[in-house]
Amino acid sequence: MRNRTAITFPLALAFAMMSASLAHAQSSQSSNSADAGKAIFKRANCFGCHKWHGNGGGGYGGDALSLRRTELTRDQIIETVACGRPGTGMPYFARGSYDTTKCHEMSRQDVGDSIPPEGGVFLRGPDIDAVADYVLAHIKGKGEPNYDECVSFFGNTSRVCDIYKAGSASPSKPSAEPAK
Amino acid sequence: MSKHMQIKLKVILLATAAATVSFAALPAYSADEMTQERLLNSEKETGNWLHHHKNYSATRFSSLKEINKDNVKNLKVAWTMHLGGVEGGGIWTHGGLEGTPIVENGMMYVTDGWGSVYKIDTHGGKGNLLWKMDPKTDHDWAGAVACCGVDNRGVALWDNFVISHTLDGRLIATDKETGQVKWQKQVADPDKGEVITGAPLIVKNTAITGVAGAEYGIRGWIAATDLGTQKEVWRTHTIPGKGEPGSDTWKDEKNAAAAGGGSTWVTGSYDPATDTVFWGVGNPGPDWDNQYRPGDNLYTDSSLALDAATGKMKFHYQHTPNDPYDYDSVAENVLVDIPGPSGAPQKLALEADRNGFAYAIDRTNGKFLWGLPFVKNVTWTKGLDPESGKPIEYDPKSPVQRYNVSVTPHRENKVADFCPGNMGGKNWPPTAYNPELKLWYIPVIESCNRITVEEATPEKLKPREFWTGGGPSQPVRITGSVTAIDVTKGKIASKLETPFPNLGGMLATPDLVFTGQPSGEVMALDAKSLQKLWEFNTGGGLNAPPVTFSVDGKQYIAILVGLGGAWDKWFIDSTPELKKMQPGSMLYVFAL
Repeated sequence: MRNRTAITFPLALAFAMMSASLAHAQSSQSSNSADAGKAIFKRANCFGCHKWHGNGGGGYGGDALSLRRTELTRDQIIETVACGRPGTGMPYFARGSYDTTKCHEMSRQDVGDSIPPEGGVFLRGPDIDAVADYVLAHIKGKGEPNYDECVSFFGNTSRVCDIYKAGSASPSKPSAEPAK
Repeated sequence: MSKHMQIKLKVILLATAAATVSFAALPAYSADEMTQERLLNSEKETGNWLHHHKNYSATRFSSLKEINKDNVKNLKVAWTMHLGGVEGGGIWTHGGLEGTPIVENGMMYVTDGWGSVYKIDTHGGKGNLLWKMDPKTDHDWAGAVACCGVDNRGVALWDNFVISHTLDGRLIATDKETGQVKWQKQVADPDKGEVITGAPLIVKNTAITGVAGAEYGIRGWIAATDLGTQKEVWRTHTIPGKGEPGSDTWKDEKNAAAAGGGSTWVTGSYDPATDTVFWGVGNPGPDWDNQYRPGDNLYTDSSLALDAATGKMKFHYQHTPNDPYDYDSVAENVLVDIPGPSGAPQKLALEADRNGFAYAIDRTNGKFLWGLPFVKNVTWTKGLDPESGKPIEYDPKSPVQRYNVSVTPHRENKVADFCPGNMGGKNWPPTAYNPELKLWYIPVIESCNRITVEEATPEKLKPREFWTGGGPSQPVRITGSVTAIDVTKGKIASKLETPFPNLGGMLATPDLVFTGQPSGEVMALDAKSLQKLWEFNTGGGLNAPPVTFSVDGKQYIAILVGLGGAWDKWFIDSTPELKKMQPGSMLYVFAL
């Protein structure tokens, strides 16, 4: 973690009181932000690797970390999206990362060959906040993906969510009978 | 409406539609109706390209020679056409073009990655789009479980219909004249992780379909559908059921066979002399944790010979038992006759495997004849046993194979670099064979890559989720080549190295070979020396094989251009310059 400016106790108390009074307003604001974040999650192709449900996983693309099991805080998620993860396939999504803005306290020269790939789109600060809020509100800490979550991501024009309905096909059963 | 009424109305409507169509198409109708007779004698229709692999033997050889090594330097773009299907879906940001055009009497049929079919009139030195059939593929349903891209490799012709597949598992018959869908049938189930990318193979009124999804825990199959009744005639699973022959090659207690992979996503070939379909089978799953599935894992990584009428297996030949590398044997078997040692013709089936070896088996009995590495660098085995063709280190008594143990990924060697990499060798892009020169041309990925193993457990097996036991990364630059093999000797005759892997495949003519690069260049090579004689940069990545045809008495070369597939998502780090290639969807046609 980076060092933060020390905050004196009375000031901190004042902050805490202000925060308390703002708590309600903030929660509704972050819920709006989370909804906007879903669009970002799609537009920036986060689901290309982490999947719609955030579980990521191994496979052809290597390992995209599970956002359902992540322990990252909001700030850490924001930093990871903005800066990517050096030495991995997680791209950076903030314009100027490692150039005009140091990332993980590194410039482009410092990070060298470990520089993460550049994201397919650049996201602005509020977009990155929104996608972090979306991950916190709808993905982090959730259990197994379910039908309602799937439909809320994709809508209901595709058959993509059908397997989350009870009693659907499982690949652990041999597909012995012809598809209808 | 009563059921009776509905049926009656349907019959009337169908009759009307049929009447309209045959009237409109009357002058050309009988000549253009596809029959088994025409499919068997496709080589007599020299100007046409009627089969996915040009003929039932899958040689992709055309005898057209108006374009030849003396004048190919004058080859120029005749016309181009923009196609669609670039949009993404599921885990994919865009589609690509991997299709082989089919050409019949000047009418060309091509597909885009989402399975739209385009009919293009090529008469008069230009392309005129007559219709487009958009099957409205369910992008997210299919695209989320397509391991390796939004791909469709083309159509087949039967009767007066264009027969095609969609990524979301359908077999479709489209009226060739009107572009209207006549019927469609769900043959694969994306709910199980099954998708279809290959073109159908038509044999005697049936369409034979292969399936993809070995990275998603499917149990693979090949199925034949009657094109008249749309009923399934047979479905042969590539992983035996409990108690069936071969089931003892799955020795675990976890029922690994039920999700054992063995996909069949490349169109096969057919030998009418014995009524045998030859079809390749892909990797076992989980790809890189072979300890999860002890045993040889039949019939993964095998070439199969099936009775065309029943789907019953006549024999198999397995290349990489208990595969720990993802070395599919989905590649097409090229059926070739050469003079044998005793004077009687030797009937070969040739296969260029992901594992880096080119194999010839006797296609009458499945016996191994010869095999040799066609890549520059093989590290996973010291070579093939000259009698059996099995890797030298293969131990039939051992349930888990380690081959060259120091480079093989397994639970105690979780990060392993091996060559060829998991894409091969040679992937789906097709080979071509020149029957006059007896040279077989392989589109090669000269590669190594790294696998990081993640131990598979039954809890990790979930519907529509990757079931791979690890994943690849690309610490080493990957290049390519065209490698020509003299099949009379089983030896490499020549090799042309290329800066990038060959992701498109081959076309052979009497004295030329055509191919392309994912960096955009279409090229013509001398059929013997592989010296480059002509090149044109399309400006888009080549991910599809060239074909040739003639219309109005003039020869053309056609190729689809648009990089998609597995490479630019999963393997691009090994070819950094290709990151700049833009998604696209174009047809290029060349002529003198």
